[in-house]
Amino acid sequence: MNLRVPLQGINFTVLLLGSIGLLAQAAPPAQAPAPAQSAAPQQSAATTKTYPPELVQKGQALFRQDCSFCHGRDAGGGETGPDLTRSRLVRADIDGDKIGPVVRNGRPDKGMPPFDRSDDQMASLVAFIHTQQNNMRNNRGGGRKGVDPSDLQTGNAEAGKQYFEGKGGCSSCHSPTGDLAGIASKYKGLELEQMMLYPRRAKSKVTVTLATGENVSGTLAYVDEFTIALTDSTEQYRSWRTRDVQYKIDSPVNAHKELFPKYTDADVHNLMAYLQTFH
Amino acid sequence: MNVLKNALLTVIAGLTVPVFAGPLWAQGADSQLLLHPPKNSWPSYHGDYSGRRHSALTQITPQNVKNLSLAWAFQTNQTIPLKSSPLLVDGILYFTAPDNVWALDARSGHQIWHFNYPRGQGEHIGQRGVAMYKDSLFFLTPDAHLISINSKDGMTRWKVQIADVSKGYWTSMAPLVVGNHVLVGVSGDFDNLSGFLRAVDPETGDTQWQWDSSPPAGTPNQTTGGMTWMTGTYDPELNLVYWGTGNPTPVLNGSTRPGDNLYTCSIVALNADTGKLVWSFQPSPHDTHDWDAVETPVLVDGDFHGKPYKMLMQTSRNGYFFVLDRTNGKSLLTVPFGPVNWSLGIDKKGQPIPNPAKEPAPDGRLIAPDEGGMTNYRAPSFDTKTGLFVVSAHPSWSLYFAKPADGTYGWAGADYDVWGTGVIEAIDYQTGKIRWAHDLGDESGAGVLTTDSGLVFTGDAKGNFLALDSTNGKTLWHAGSGSHITSSPTTYELDGRQYVLTSSGGVMFAWALPED
Repeated sequence: MNLRVPLQGINFTVLLLGSIGLLAQAAPPAQAPAPAQSAAPQQSAATTKTYPPELVQKGQALFRQDCSFCHGRDAGGGETGPDLTRSRLVRADIDGDKIGPVVRNGRPDKGMPPFDRSDDQMASLVAFIHTQQNNMRNNRGGGRKGVDPSDLQTGNAEAGKQYFEGKGGCSSCHSPTGDLAGIASKYKGLELEQMMLYPRRAKSKVTVTLATGENVSGTLAYVDEFTIALTDSTEQYRSWRTRDVQYKIDSPVNAHKELFPKYTDADVHNLMAYLQTFH
Repeated sequence: MNVLKNALLTVIAGLTVPVFAGPLWAQGADSQLLLHPPKNSWPSYHGDYSGRRHSALTQITPQNVKNLSLAWAFQTNQTIPLKSSPLLVDGILYFTAPDNVWALDARSGHQIWHFNYPRGQGEHIGQRGVAMYKDSLFFLTPDAHLISINSKDGMTRWKVQIADVSKGYWTSMAPLVVGNHVLVGVSGDFDNLSGFLRAVDPETGDTQWQWDSSPPAGTPNQTTGGMTWMTGTYDPELNLVYWGTGNPTPVLNGSTRPGDNLYTCSIVALNADTGKLVWSFQPSPHDTHDWDAVETPVLVDGDFHGKPYKMLMQTSRNGYFFVLDRTNGKSLLTVPFGPVNWSLGIDKKGQPIPNPAKEPAPDGRLIAPDEGGMTNYRAPSFDTKTGLFVVSAHPSWSLYFAKPADGTYGWAGADYDVWGTGVIEAIDYQTGKIRWAHDLGDESGAGVLTTDSGLVFTGDAKGNFLALDSTNGKTLWHAGSGSHITSSPTTYELDGRQYVLTSSGGVMFAWALPED
């Protein structure tokens, strides 16, 4: 399966507990000739900045103590945590302006606790993380782990099309020329495959029925056993105690879950091949 | 139904933790206290040696738990979420975070002393608590040292090195005191390291014995790993300690370690005085998914299909619920407790057979459960009243990758979650059937405590502490804690009042019924 990958291709790694904002953008080193229509690489000041070795070392030590369990010793991903070397947020960060808030606030929804670190400590962490990302982009030395789009090209697009229109049931909700048009230009590689399997960003709709019988509908904003909330058509957040109302959540994305036990790995790769034709 | 009733009666008769008033002022935690914890104590990580985390206290009931309210809270003012189970001995609570031990007056919630270890090397990912023997507390540090701390004033008595942090080891578990042995385990699977369990002398820290879970690093075609991440359990009649071991290394690539990879992902029975292996059972032979088998090896005496057994039960990370005869390690039951898709079935020993087609691959494999596992560090509970094994489960799906470029050291691959949820499952131990399930909406970090009055204490993914009816899982009480729950509840009686302790974020909460 020969898939044209632009030189300045966008490698997305969707991160396990990583946030929606942490989309990776890595410019691979020159391996293939650049197609004429390739986009100019997005460079930010931080990507070319180098840091004093002692600062990077300090950051490495601190990273090792606090971050490495989840993010890996080399920041390339560890137990449960995202690969920071392919992170778009890291790439866009300038001297910690984006990394700092993530470290100090944590990512509560994703399981990352906050870390109360001094400015000096933060500067060292930022230096280390940027250095790791730069090293990853500039030097694909052996032993580095991660998933590139080229790893995911073992499927057959025609078989994927059969699955999409047949056993998978995808075409009951999706269309390559409709809602999924251009999806392969928007998302690449692992991120595309993860979204294909379970589009975690898809929003659910909810209709809440009050004791009066009035129905309120909107986008689901929060739900636990005790509280249900939505944002209504005016973007207003509204919540109720679950004990006071009836509610019905509409999550079309649930159809994806039903496929998990049914997929073979070949189905997954074939579907991926087919989806990658939706430019 | 009859079988279950008989099982219940046998189980109740066979309780190894009788409730009695106990001495009012013990001299710390001596052997008798550890063997027969009185109701005004929680002297070790699990509460007692069985690991059931089931309390005989009945002051808080399904009828009155709706009135449960805050007795006090202690704020550590640290951002690191608490993962330890606090000890309660002589009216004083001891709990931890990496590099930190606090002693609180359990009546007021106020600090008596605070021990702080200078921040050093090693992963600061978590700390599960101290062990106590007489008036010494035993505390493991991120840089893999064991410290003996005077429980009266928080001063260091001695410090010994357990492992070399520069090689990639660290320590985080709550040690277990058995007789005159302090049992300590090690963490670390980002490097190819040999795992072990070590017994040290409580007076000096000198090594008494060490049991190695894997061959020395570098042995050709052999595995490393088998780290002893969590606290085991102990049967005083058999004089056996039961311990779970972690995954092999390299983690996601098994090519350099053919075979079952003993004793990684294993449950082992060791002689408590010598550390000699008596039997072993392997929940995950030749694991390639990071599925440690370190979840609590819960000890239960009761009937199994009409015959009395001394059992060991584990809801393992790989998605299987195991019931063993703990005298010899023979399998009684092996059943999944959530979706699993990585095995070819169960072999004659009751061990899952890994499917080679579901090992991590260059183009990825869809695997159930995810790398975090069907359950993890959060404690389960065996409820002797209902005969139900209650666990916080995480049905989940993920993608696992490994390719030659990832090498054969440490993680050696990459895995990514696709989807998962959280649910409290109450499992009938004789069949593996789930009697009731309580949806948590998402994966929770909260462990489970059950009580004789018919309550299950746990928490959901949104920081709500929960009390459930143990017969049907219905919510009877809740309180929003405002942060992540990453610990397991404990309970004790003090001054005639039953307290339940939970933590969320950096705060320890004590709950009790309002006083008259």
